[in-house]
Amino acid sequence: MTEHIIELHDVSKNYTRGVETVHALQEVTLNVSKGDFIAVVGHSGSGKTTMMNIMGCLDHPSSGSVILQGRPIEQASESALTRMRRSAIGFVFQQFFLVPTLTVLENVTLPALFSGNHTNGRSRDLLEMVGLGKRLNHLPGQLSGGEMQRAAIARALVNSPPLVLADEPTGNLDSRNADMIMELFEQLNRDGVTIVLVTHNADIVKHCERTVHIEDGRISQ
Amino acid sequence: MTFFKVALSNLKRNRVRTLLTGLSLAVSAATLTVVLALDRGYSSAVTDDLVNKTGIHLYITKEGCPIEAASVIAQGGLSPLYVEEDILARLATVADLEAILPFKLFAVTTDDGSRTDIFMGVTDAILSMKPDWRFAAGGWLKEDDSVVIGADMAQIEFLQVGQRMYNENFDREFTVTGILERTYSQDDGTFFVPLATAQAMVQREGKLSAVGLKLADISRMDLVQNQLRALMPADYFVLGSKELSEGILQFFGATRAIMIVMVFVAFIISVFGIINTMLMAVLERRREIAYLKCVGAGRLDLVRLITLETTSIALAGSAAGALLGMVLSPVAGNLLRTFLVAYVPSGPIARPEPMIALMAFILCSIVGLACSLYPALRAARIVPMEVLRND
Repeated sequence: MTEHIIELHDVSKNYTRGVETVHALQEVTLNVSKGDFIAVVGHSGSGKTTMMNIMGCLDHPSSGSVILQGRPIEQASESALTRMRRSAIGFVFQQFFLVPTLTVLENVTLPALFSGNHTNGRSRDLLEMVGLGKRLNHLPGQLSGGEMQRAAIARALVNSPPLVLADEPTGNLDSRNADMIMELFEQLNRDGVTIVLVTHNADIVKHCERTVHIEDGRISQ
Repeated sequence: MTFFKVALSNLKRNRVRTLLTGLSLAVSAATLTVVLALDRGYSSAVTDDLVNKTGIHLYITKEGCPIEAASVIAQGGLSPLYVEEDILARLATVADLEAILPFKLFAVTTDDGSRTDIFMGVTDAILSMKPDWRFAAGGWLKEDDSVVIGADMAQIEFLQVGQRMYNENFDREFTVTGILERTYSQDDGTFFVPLATAQAMVQREGKLSAVGLKLADISRMDLVQNQLRALMPADYFVLGSKELSEGILQFFGATRAIMIVMVFVAFIISVFGIINTMLMAVLERRREIAYLKCVGAGRLDLVRLITLETTSIALAGSAAGALLGMVLSPVAGNLLRTFLVAYVPSGPIARPEPMIALMAFILCSIVGLACSLYPALRAARIVPMEVLRND
């Protein structure tokens, strides 16, 4: 039987914007299995980031159920969601979000600090793995865009999450660096990390095993 | 990797802002230290002058106002009111008095205004009222033109025992018969001459500034005071030395209130400054804080982080301010001396003690810590999804 990392069942999400109600997601059902490498594609405003936020325990759905590693989380408290994010999910964003005054090594260790782990042995290993072994003590400002994103990926993996969510991870990179990042994701996936990646770049999609199209808040294919 | 290290690294992002925030707390801590040092110092100096270092328990004076009385009694202030010498006979009938010291005190400023000499005409009774007096050289008054001088005056005038001293204001010569050891009181800067000589110098024969009384038994103070009030003419006052100092300190209360308001204003400015700065620091980092939440930072983690940032500034600023206050207190004391309209004591007005600096440090640190709470809670309340979607 396939082991699901995360399951969305009839998930809807509505926002109120002024007097208008925005139906960002409408009855979305999606199962992400262990070892999947999925690309979520769609136009701007299609609802892909909203889906990502719900999968990443950053938001509650308006209706439907979300099951992360076998546990329903749609009604979970803020602190329970925080614990889930700490242990089960790694985030990679387009803008890297590295703390400019911390070294690369310290940036990668940061999520571990919130888990109560102050050591940086794993951070070093991860930075070696992403090819930044010689840049440990550099500040983010001294790195190229590709290097910053590789550092961000290492940071997403520091708590050994089974699921990595990446929102436009190559959006700020040139094609050469984008390819390097995608190769890194492929390698991680081969090592057993489940990856869900949001993009609207067709070149990126071809690196993924499975593509989910989303349009007007619904999965279209 | 620790929370403290992350907090410090955040403070380094905008060093000028961090410095200014710390400075605002430093100003508060310094102001508080100075004000407390002045408050304690002035009280101690007045009490020392009028209670601890005089050996006099009661004063007979014609001045009812404690400020006026102190001015006449301790500083040689000019007053049209004089105690008549013939009341000494009445005082001699009071059994509880161990010593009676009639004295004539006056101050003379040189023509160029550069120096004021204090002369005190006294009798031998002063020796029983000042048991701590020691002579560095020579001994007590012998003739009408004898003078005993305080340690400071001997040093300033380069005077030695046996030397003649000329005073141009009175066109009079004195012979130095004794030099007192330093007492760290007004005595160090005083010329002691025989009572009759002093009265003659200002053409006030038979008139006294006041009469100092030493009691045989201090526990009978109230009883003796009542007895003396009954014995003295109606326009005479019997003032306890403590009563005198307390009266002056009461008058100083207005100055104290102004100083406290000053501290309060400094604190308010500092509090709003810190809250504003830290809030700005939090709002500028909304996206980063949102990301920290994404990677598992809980509300408490963020409160801890922001609080640590503010506390670091608060501790550094408060410590620097408290030390600065210790250094500036004597300067402020001298400045205050020139502005005081009430009694100006002879000793140092500011007494910056380590305990005062510690108190200012602790109080300012607590204020700094309290200021961090609102920005920290704002940081904790950031909803990552909203920030990442809207920014």
